[in-house]
Amino acid sequence: MTVVETSGLTKRYGNGVLAVDSVEMSVRRGEVYGFLGPNGAGKTTTLRMLVGLIRPTSGTATVAGHTPGDPAGLAKIGSLVEAPGFYPYLSGRENLKVVADFASINHRRVDEVLDIVELTSRAGRKFGTYSTGMKQRLGVAAALLKDPELLILDEPTSGLDPQGMAEMRKLIKDIGQGNRTVLLSSHLLPEVEQICDRVGVIRGGKLVTQSTVQELLGKEGVLVTAQPVDRAFELLTTMFGVAAVSRQNGSIRLQTDPAGSLEINSRLMAAGIGVSELRPIERSLEEAFFQLTGEKQGS
Amino acid sequence: MIATIKAEWRKNRFRPAFLVSSGIIAAITALIYGVNWYLALHPTAGDRQAVSLLTLYPDQVVNNVMGAGFPLGAAMAIVLGALIAGSEYSWGTMKTTLTQGPGRLTTWFGRVVVFAARMGILTGILFIVGAASSVVVASFEGHAIAWPAVIDIAKGIGAIWLVLAVNGAIGLALGTLIRHSAAALGVGLIYVLAVEIIAVRFIDSINSGAYKWIGNLFVGQNATALLQSFTSPAFGRSLAPSIGAEQAVLVLAAYFVGLVIVAAALIRQRDVT
Repeated sequence: MTVVETSGLTKRYGNGVLAVDSVEMSVRRGEVYGFLGPNGAGKTTTLRMLVGLIRPTSGTATVAGHTPGDPAGLAKIGSLVEAPGFYPYLSGRENLKVVADFASINHRRVDEVLDIVELTSRAGRKFGTYSTGMKQRLGVAAALLKDPELLILDEPTSGLDPQGMAEMRKLIKDIGQGNRTVLLSSHLLPEVEQICDRVGVIRGGKLVTQSTVQELLGKEGVLVTAQPVDRAFELLTTMFGVAAVSRQNGSIRLQTDPAGSLEINSRLMAAGIGVSELRPIERSLEEAFFQLTGEKQGS
Repeated sequence: MIATIKAEWRKNRFRPAFLVSSGIIAAITALIYGVNWYLALHPTAGDRQAVSLLTLYPDQVVNNVMGAGFPLGAAMAIVLGALIAGSEYSWGTMKTTLTQGPGRLTTWFGRVVVFAARMGILTGILFIVGAASSVVVASFEGHAIAWPAVIDIAKGIGAIWLVLAVNGAIGLALGTLIRHSAAALGVGLIYVLAVEIIAVRFIDSINSGAYKWIGNLFVGQNATALLQSFTSPAFGRSLAPSIGAEQAVLVLAAYFVGLVIVAAALIRQRDVT
């Protein structure tokens, strides 16, 4: 069952910029969905449309069973879109009480969520004095106030130090347990790889792929280390074609389904070629991301 | 709507801008009484503007506090309105609020209700400090303490509240339009303290005042006329305002409703980025 479903979701701003282009996105109940893309790819605009802050130019979306922005739908959604927005002259606790009042939630829940994000001891301090990490935590606490079915978090580790990022990742993992659905936007790939069940990759406003993390990582191929390497290369080229075979640091890289590894091993052995290593290539999410988005690694 | 009003009240009850403006309006009212008391006791020879001590006694409190209502109170109301509406965008709290559940219009009207209530509190402070100051003057001067009729006090409170609310609505609408508190309050103050005055003078001068009726539709003209309608013989002779009090109330009320509706339409239609 899907919690978020979009169809042809498009946003063109008044200045003509096409920020989101016909996005077809589907987030299933109970999963942690990573929404990946480089800066300016359209992630935040998409999330803003899902919570009703921005109206789409065309296309439709259903979020928690309702159209975006519908009060009945918003009652089931907790969100932190971009930087957390709170009143600097109020304490963290008072800010959460204001949010709770807007959402018609009992104030008892305020202390519960402060405890979840481990901010209880600092809850009496003014928001304006909070560090970036504390602000992010308060933002997550506000998103959790409704005990939402769907949690939408936009770059939740943005601006955090490594310690803060690790803590936030753990927090999101814990939150994503059980039936709760988490839609997490990020451009930090290790974060998504560690936390998410499925990912959608957006580039230039278009959703270029949507799959499980494993599917995305497992499409690469097989690495073969064999002797004599030239004969092995010749045989594998005959089997898979020139385009699928390349040399890599004394080994041979094959673009093929790793499920065919047994067949490859048998054919090499039958040809009198010694195979010392034959393993699936596990490309990192980073590699997959750069291939999909056309971005250059290290740029 | 109740939940939204509750939330708006919670976030604004200790807002520094309101606390500071309450202090300023109290101090200015006390200062007006203090300065006028001094001037009444130390009239300069031949000064035709000498203040009569009679205007500072409790029975004249309604007429006397009107001076603090416009333009000072109005300017303060514009600043408050611009801060309340504009800071929601600069602090990013608008998106936090709108993603909680109440609709955009419910959120806006809840904000307006609480803002109007705060203008009522400012009005109350103005009257309380004015009344207290008048009692101090009367006590020192050995004058009997007598208060105006309740209906006159109610009319005075209503008039000042309306002037503050309309000017506050200008600030709220500008803050919503510009989505930035500093810019909105700058534009609002320049409009009320300069642009409107120049525009009215220019319109009044065209064709020997043939278009004066247009000038009489401006907020400042009506606010001034409404507050000037509260006078008594103790204040000496004064020119009759060119706009009647009833007309001023209607024009100001129309401005308030119109500005609130225009801002509501902006909030309903525009993307929150």
